Amino acid sequence: MSPSPDARVEALLRDLGSRLRRGGSHEAARQASGGRRHATGLADVDALIGGGFPAGRLCEIAGPLSSGRTSLALALLAQATRAGEWTALVDAADALDPASAQAAGVALERVLWVRPQDAQQAARASARLLELRGFALIALDLAPTRAQSPLPDAAWQRLARAAAASGTSLVVLAPRRIAGAHSALSLETRRARAHWSGTPALLDGIEIEAEVTRRREGPARVAAVRLRAASRAA
Amino acid sequence: MAPSVGSSRIACLLVPDLPRAAALRAHPDLAGRPFAVCAGAGPRAEIASASEEAIRLGVRRGHTVAEARSLCASLAVHVASPALEEATRAALLDAALSCSPRAELEPRCAGAYAGEAAVCADASGVTPIFGGEAGFATALTQRAAALGLPARVAVASSRSTARIAARRIAGDGETLLLAPGDEAEFLAPLPIDVLDPDDALAERLTRFGVHTVRDLLRLPRASLAARLGPAAVALGLLARGHCALPPPGAPAEALVAEALDLEHPAERLEPLLFALQALLSRLLARLEVRHLACDELALSLELAGGGRDARRIGVSAPTRELRVLVRLVAQSLESRPPHAAVQCARLETRGVPLRRDQLDLFRPPGPAPGALAPALAELASLCGAARVGAPAVADDHHPDAHALREFGPASRDAAPPEPAGTFLLALRALRPAAAAEVRLRAGHPIWIRSAVCSGRVLRSAGPWRTTGGWWSREGRFAFDHFDVQTEDGTVARLRYDHVTRGWQIDGVYD
Repeated sequence: MSPSPDARVEALLRDLGSRLRRGGSHEAARQASGGRRHATGLADVDALIGGGFPAGRLCEIAGPLSSGRTSLALALLAQATRAGEWTALVDAADALDPASAQAAGVALERVLWVRPQDAQQAARASARLLELRGFALIALDLAPTRAQSPLPDAAWQRLARAAAASGTSLVVLAPRRIAGAHSALSLETRRARAHWSGTPALLDGIEIEAEVTRRREGPARVAAVRLRAASRAA
Repeated sequence: MAPSVGSSRIACLLVPDLPRAAALRAHPDLAGRPFAVCAGAGPRAEIASASEEAIRLGVRRGHTVAEARSLCASLAVHVASPALEEATRAALLDAALSCSPRAELEPRCAGAYAGEAAVCADASGVTPIFGGEAGFATALTQRAAALGLPARVAVASSRSTARIAARRIAGDGETLLLAPGDEAEFLAPLPIDVLDPDDALAERLTRFGVHTVRDLLRLPRASLAARLGPAAVALGLLARGHCALPPPGAPAEALVAEALDLEHPAERLEPLLFALQALLSRLLARLEVRHLACDELALSLELAGGGRDARRIGVSAPTRELRVLVRLVAQSLESRPPHAAVQCARLETRGVPLRRDQLDLFRPPGPAPGALAPALAELASLCGAARVGAPAVADDHHPDAHALREFGPASRDAAPPEPAGTFLLALRALRPAAAAEVRLRAGHPIWIRSAVCSGRVLRSAGPWRTTGGWWSREGRFAFDHFDVQTEDGTVARLRYDHVTRGWQIDGVYD
């Protein structure tokens, strides 16, 4: 005799066990993404952020000009595209320099470069790409604005949910943290010093500091790391 | 040398009433209802063709629309559309090409057979695939039916005999096979009209007492030419099963087109899109029967007032998905609507093999090509077509130059680039370059004011001169670049523009 519907439900609940919890969208995202992380290829930074930016999450790289956030973003894209992943750059700031990206090791043919005219278009474009699926990583580069955040809180919430549903890493680049509590991981960068050498002097590179200022999972506070971005390949 | 009945076998796929078939194909809801196709608009237009249901109610070819409506009040009347009929003939050819690599449209006839559409296909060597000529003929009728075309098929040893035989078939979907050598016996008892002589020759033959093909064959060949002319000689050859036309050849390219004359000019997008969706559906059905896909659409709209709107709609990957193509067409029309009402629409595509993506076990699959095309089209309509694509390094010395390539799965097999090996400092471009006010000492900047950075210059390097485009007044450029670090901590790329004689910041090292 087949078990009753109640018995079947009970058996299912027992099987699910601790995986079943209220508000389990984050758990679902972690499971959907298989716990994957996208590394930058920079050992110190990757150790700082727990191995990489988590898949299926909205994350941030925030810092003023010349603090290395663009260099970190290109390093992230380079790692992903070299591994064969498809990526997208929603460039509301229209700031991508293809020559810099290529020098950083980014496989340009695996990057979809979208240049929206404003933050609202950028949000719509990002949402569409998340809905499309198939992109491992989407970088959203927002131009600086006077407002606290170029997008309302509801837009960040929708983007975070869309990232969770698609298993894509959505990394927001901005002069300061703007995604609030919707960011699973916020990496802030600061300028340390610029290096010049030679006669006549040439720019050797910029030393930057990177610190995790928000993390939903893992240690709450980790010491900042300092690294140097060189203006020329070794 | 007279053409001979050789060892070739030809199948003729024939639709006896092209206007009716074209109307039914465009409006499947007419099936089972009394309808007629007329030569023009208005109550005095003549009926050119009518459905079986209308014929049973007394409607005949030659009646006016008013007369026909008096016999059948519920008669649906459609104006004949040359564009639709051409597309229907082309669809018949597609049905034939789905079974045989060599097929051609037969020339249109005048007179009694003016309303038919016929295609001849090479039926040689069909046994391994179709099990014989009977299976081949059945497959042809089925493929035509799949495209909404009620056709009949005859197989003979020459094009003309096959076409004559197809005309003798009673019903749609039926087939007739004439064994080699049986052509003359088949043709002999048939009335002379099956050979389609012109009116003058037909009258003269009747006066000579020639009523059947057998009667014609009894006439001495020598006197046929002398008394009735070369047209009668040609008719005699047809009567013997000979055909001057060569066997059908393979088409040069797979160009598939569907067209429609709108009965009422479409002023709004909604009815136009509705009509275009039906066109796309028929187009895709033809591509599917030939195992082809669409990689680009050419949409041509004839507008009220004589204007024309022609546009190309690219598809990122060959597809046969109606939903994807409808969306692309809709986005194209919404972003650039026609400037007048649309009277006629034509969609054309060059059929290409459907690309099967070979997934790699060791690489991520990426976005589905079928879903990518409409997404890229949406992004292009949102941000601008020139602002969506894969970045590329421009082959240009201008510092602002950058290139955009088509983004798609075609580059799946590209080799990954070499790793940088070092954490490289990136340049963050400023587009457009930000104007700056600069003070110099000994030719080097010592103070900057701009929206990007301001203050005293702590360190600088340069200048490096870049020039180009000297052959063009509009394209010439000359810049002196500096790398500068200002006291607010920003490290930027500053340039002096010799053409505009102004300072700009065109990038920030970040």
